[in-house]
Amino acid sequence: MNPLNWLRSLGQFTYFCMTFFRTGLTRRPPEGEVFKEAYNIGVRSLPILMIIAAFVGTNLTLQGHHAFEPIGGQNLVGMFVGLAGVRELAPIIAAAMVAAKAGTEMASQVAVMRSREQIDALEVMGVNSYWYLITPRFLGILLVMPVLTTLAIYGMLASAYAVAVFQLGLNGPEFIEFVFNVTEIRDLLIGNIKALFFGAVICLVCCYHGYHSDPGPKGVGSATNRAVVTAAVACVMLNYLISEIAYA
Amino acid sequence: MLVYMDTCMRRCMLPVLAVVFPFGMVISLQGLEVFRLFGAERLLSSLASVAIIRELSPVLASVLIAAQGGSANAAELGAMRIEEELDATEVMAVDSLSFHVVPRVVALTLACTVLNILGTIGGLAGSFLTAVYMKGENAGVFLSGLGTYTTSFDLFAAFLKTAVFGLIIGLVSCYLGFNTKGGAAGVGRAVNNTVVYSVLLFITANYFMTSALFGVAG
Repeated sequence: MNPLNWLRSLGQFTYFCMTFFRTGLTRRPPEGEVFKEAYNIGVRSLPILMIIAAFVGTNLTLQGHHAFEPIGGQNLVGMFVGLAGVRELAPIIAAAMVAAKAGTEMASQVAVMRSREQIDALEVMGVNSYWYLITPRFLGILLVMPVLTTLAIYGMLASAYAVAVFQLGLNGPEFIEFVFNVTEIRDLLIGNIKALFFGAVICLVCCYHGYHSDPGPKGVGSATNRAVVTAAVACVMLNYLISEIAYA
Repeated sequence: MLVYMDTCMRRCMLPVLAVVFPFGMVISLQGLEVFRLFGAERLLSSLASVAIIRELSPVLASVLIAAQGGSANAAELGAMRIEEELDATEVMAVDSLSFHVVPRVVALTLACTVLNILGTIGGLAGSFLTAVYMKGENAGVFLSGLGTYTTSFDLFAAFLKTAVFGLIIGLVSCYLGFNTKGGAAGVGRAVNNTVVYSVLLFITANYFMTSALFGVAG
């Protein structure tokens, strides 16, 4: 990709965000829309998120067991799951799945509205399209992301426990004790703060790509595609930054 | 087929690196904190290399390939279906399945394995940079520890895993793109479902493959 092009889209994105913050968040959101969007994002992403979180937990346990076996520390698996899973993997997996499910849906919905000129129609009617389309999605995702992340953490721990006890034959209470030895309330709190940032980034990036999509089915497809990749990459980079600030 | 592989790798290379590299850094960051408790910092690279080679790089690279390559596949095929290009191919008596779908699936399968190698190197580099330059670990200790627990079988297993993941991504994305219905909104839905279902399928497959390849007891 041409660096100048890249710089231009970065500027366009910044302008998009600023316009959104100035016009979208300074008024009361549209009546009833926030909870509808929160339901759409949260409840419809939940089953898929729980399945993924469960399988991430199982694998984490298998790999942790394998890694600690040579040094005779099979029981350290609980610690490994607690640290790697609760602090890093569960928030990032939740963000990735919300980006993949709700984020792409946002991007394609907004892109379809763009290609059918519905956004122009809104503007003609004197309705601010940022306020009408993006504000409910933004507030909705901020509302559900912490909940989804917390649920993902518990789902992951449950599946990790199941694998540790039933597949690997470790001692259950000991596993739980090791998990709780290394995790604190602070970790959950930081996970939720991370989730808020991820939610904001996912919503802004996906809506931006949808808002500035090219017309036609090709434009919708490529906008959706770019949205999910950019959102995922941005979340992982942000994750490193927040971890560095919070834990180092 | 090579053309598809080329475009797929070009598209996915940056995202894969951009995700696995920071993850390697996070591993160093969190791992060091734990190992400092026991004074066993030298074990960091051994465990990081096991985690990155076996699990993180294949899974993260495949997630990104599903998000980038797979969804691009679905978007292209979906747009071709909506614009009746696929029907046009059929009318010209060219089998659209073997002309449009097969090369894409094969290309994704191969690209996935290659990108995983790239991701592994990127992840280890990220882990190395954080540990050595930001946290002041010894570079020689880190490098010599890399091979303690990793064997060539691990590399082979990661290769096999990513090939299967790539096949899953290719099949899911082509199936959903090929059977797109309902205009531009349908293309968006196909892309959306591609990412969700392919990630769901290969994470599930990952558990069983890890259990099978590395023994049931881990």
